[in-house]
Amino acid sequence: MDIKPDEIIGHIGEVLTERQKKRGILIHAFQKIQHEYNFLPGDALKALSEKLDIPMSDVYSAATFYKQFYFTPRGKKIVRVCTGTACHVRGASKVLNKIKDEFDIEEGETTPDLSMTLETVGCIGCCGLAPVATVNEDIVGEIDMKKIEEIIETIKRS
Amino acid sequence: MVTLTIDGKTIEVEEGTTILEAALKNGIRIPNLCYDRRLKPYGACRLCVVEVEGQPRLFASCSSPVTAGMAVKTDTPKLRKARQTVLELMLVHHPLDCPLCDKAGECDLQDFAYDYGKPEARFIRHRKKAPPDVRGPLVELTANRCILCGKCVRLCDEHQGRGALGFIGRGFPTVVQPAFGEILECDYCGQCIDACPTGALLSKPYKFKARPWFLEEKDTICPFCGCGCTLTLGIRDGEILRSRGVEGIGQSKGNLCGRGRFGFDYIYSKNRLKTPLIRITPRNSSKLGVKSLELKDKFQSQDSSLNPHPSSFFREASWTEALNYISENLRSISEQHGPSSIGAIGPHRCTNEDNHMLQKFMKNIIGSNNIDSSAAFGYAVVEKAWETAFGQKRHSINLTSPLDKEAILIVESDLTVTHPVFGLNILQAQREGSKIIVADSRETKLTRHSSQQLGIKPGTGIALLNGIMKIIMDQGLFNKETISGIAGFSALQTLLNDYTPEKVCRITGLTEAELTAASETYARAKSRMISLTISASENTKGMDTVLAAANLILLLGDDPGSLQIPAEYSNSFGAYHLLNGSNGLNNSSTGKDIFEMLYNPDSIRALYIMGEDPALNFPDTSSIINKLTSLDFLVVQDIALTETAKLAHVVLPASSWAEKDGTFTNAEGLIQQLQKVIDAAEQPLPDWRILKDLALSMGKDTGIRNIEDITKAITSSFILHPSSFNSQPCFSPINYSPAEKSDTYPMALILRDILQHSGSMSSRSKSLDLVASEAILEINEEDAKKLGIADNSHVKVSSSRTSVYLKARVSDEIPEGAVFVSLHFPHAKINTLTSHSNGMPSITMVKIEAVK
Repeated sequence: MDIKPDEIIGHIGEVLTERQKKRGILIHAFQKIQHEYNFLPGDALKALSEKLDIPMSDVYSAATFYKQFYFTPRGKKIVRVCTGTACHVRGASKVLNKIKDEFDIEEGETTPDLSMTLETVGCIGCCGLAPVATVNEDIVGEIDMKKIEEIIETIKRS
Repeated sequence: MVTLTIDGKTIEVEEGTTILEAALKNGIRIPNLCYDRRLKPYGACRLCVVEVEGQPRLFASCSSPVTAGMAVKTDTPKLRKARQTVLELMLVHHPLDCPLCDKAGECDLQDFAYDYGKPEARFIRHRKKAPPDVRGPLVELTANRCILCGKCVRLCDEHQGRGALGFIGRGFPTVVQPAFGEILECDYCGQCIDACPTGALLSKPYKFKARPWFLEEKDTICPFCGCGCTLTLGIRDGEILRSRGVEGIGQSKGNLCGRGRFGFDYIYSKNRLKTPLIRITPRNSSKLGVKSLELKDKFQSQDSSLNPHPSSFFREASWTEALNYISENLRSISEQHGPSSIGAIGPHRCTNEDNHMLQKFMKNIIGSNNIDSSAAFGYAVVEKAWETAFGQKRHSINLTSPLDKEAILIVESDLTVTHPVFGLNILQAQREGSKIIVADSRETKLTRHSSQQLGIKPGTGIALLNGIMKIIMDQGLFNKETISGIAGFSALQTLLNDYTPEKVCRITGLTEAELTAASETYARAKSRMISLTISASENTKGMDTVLAAANLILLLGDDPGSLQIPAEYSNSFGAYHLLNGSNGLNNSSTGKDIFEMLYNPDSIRALYIMGEDPALNFPDTSSIINKLTSLDFLVVQDIALTETAKLAHVVLPASSWAEKDGTFTNAEGLIQQLQKVIDAAEQPLPDWRILKDLALSMGKDTGIRNIEDITKAITSSFILHPSSFNSQPCFSPINYSPAEKSDTYPMALILRDILQHSGSMSSRSKSLDLVASEAILEINEEDAKKLGIADNSHVKVSSSRTSVYLKARVSDEIPEGAVFVSLHFPHAKINTLTSHSNGMPSITMVKIEAVK
């Protein structure tokens, strides 16, 4: 992986010191790494730290600040079950429990075969469709037992 | 300058000063937890809030600059309330486990809570529950106690240049930790322990040893490197329990490295000598006519492999007996072979008083001029070169000199390791905008913080310096006014004609662009400095390197002070000037030097070695051991049974640095007072006292009664100012001569110091041994692959002399074709491989084989 701080930040670089430039591209670099690997592998962060000459603790500190970065491998399908007020009232916990039981994982965990990561979210902004979950980019609304089975089927097939 | 009032007091400070600094400078105390004078303002703790007249809000004084006419109040009911709330919020998370915390009693948070606290807490406590991290060797991290002031994180990154700690996470669960929650692996300087305002970072060796209020604190000078930092030692019941730096105290202003902070326990090592020892069946007893002593052996030399006489043992003796035995033998040798058959070697670890006494003892009592010190391998070389080049005596060192330099060139030295506090000043200069050009074959902390790194091949510093001079000459960047008055310029020009950029790049492995850029950066800077180190424990540089660097200084017309080569150990400077310095006492020295005494088999018959371990620390130890074992009589006076002591006829126990009064002269030439902080266990005596008693037992009076007599004698003769000696500066053109190449021994063996140790003395420190306890051979990844060497496996290292076995560490921080190893550890016997030439250790070629 070859990171070129100058190219990424362009003309802004002229007013920054070398060190600031390097620090500035950290988030961008994390996103690229995560895009490629689905998570931030320790070795990749170490390589980044050496390449940018920023202490490892600093790199890790920046990465752990953001919830969007992950340090363990993630599943192919990311299932996010909404547990916002509307979804909660309409039975989000049943949806969540069903998936938990089916794959024997807790929320925030990934199945051992890396097929799925289960998460909860506060609200995804379509309360009219409650209970709602997302599978990667797709939104599944008005979930009933049949739809849960479908979600489980999709995950198992992939 | 800006004028303002703080608490009604009118104060004048420089523009840009913060309110907090202005107050501190004028003795006004504002509570704070996250301020440190070494760091940029951070404004995390909000405890330093102050009221400014006419402003509705409170100001964080640590990050608000002063303005003219400002009226500041630091203690009002409003402020007390604000601070109280801040502390109350901190104590929501901070556990109240003070009864179990070593910090209690000197804890900033505890003190402020006591000052401002109120009994009830309005918030539901929600404390962190992580157990303390006790995995690291010297620093214990209890994240629960952390108030996230960030001092340690910033100090480690900004000030120490290491960055081992970071804020991990966000919000409430944030902890201060190394990346990935790994074990803290750092420089182990322990600066974070001093900085921490709570008990989150504590010294592990000091854990549960004593409450701070039971400690008696005494200041003394650090016994390790030439920086001469002040240690504040905590003592209880006659035992030193800890060492810390106190802000603003001493040459280092409170900074310490790991050696000073954790290494003091070498004085409690098991092999400290307790009584005088006499060898039973003295080796050459018949020759000397000394009666064989038939007494029960009590003390066997520990390492029989190093002892060429495993059958002979030591027995304990009384002082009277030992001193009489020595005086009898010295007298008979002196009578038979003349006083010049007796020599003495003095140490860089003992005080000026001890060295003065040794010098006086040899000259006045024995009548011999054969006296020298280990400085001959290091500091003496620098002095000689200095004299040759600049026509001045007494190399002037200033440890803060890097701070105002625009460009600093460092040649094959890691000053952050050899002189950590000097190294901190270089790092600070870099942060403040200096360009640091580091020429080194390995990756070091300095190369990581350099503006330009020149990855030269090991030992090619001279070629590099010549190459830089050639470019400066070609571009006309040298100082045309001063140059004409300096002798040897034409000879230098002739020499430099040979050092074309192509040739220099071929030798050093640099590209021409790198070489030119470095030369131009250096020559065009408005203020410049070259720094390096010279010592017996490094073999890539010598007198020639110093002269080449001096040539560059002269060529640019710089002040001699632009060459900074600090003396290596705590009293190298003092020992050199007292034992062989020209304005020291031994002015008319015609005696034999250390090389003559240790390497020439026929030079002398008896040797008195005080606090030095030639059988370990000097190059080519096999020759030295041969010489020492062939001596008619060898007296070793030391604090522990060293490798050299194991060969002695008589071993005398000396007091360690903490057990005696006296003075050390640091690398800057500053004479600093040592304090006797504890009593010596059992019988050891201060070195000067032993020599005084020995003189008495030889029936001669030195005229010295107490230490004040010596101090007086020294101050009247000792150089405090550069001497009147002043000849003209001159160029000494230096040719680069490559290390001999050989097919059998293809690798260059480079000696290096490591951060946790200083000489071999510190290897007796239990605490430091927790970090580094054995000599590790560092080898490049590619070389390791070729030779089939795995990380952590054992290798056989052979030079043309002998072989030793070492553990290998495969590293990408060192160049191909070279292996690096440190000298600190006696059992590694590295110096059996090495050789010496003209007094300077030279690069030894070796062969590395994997041990199957």
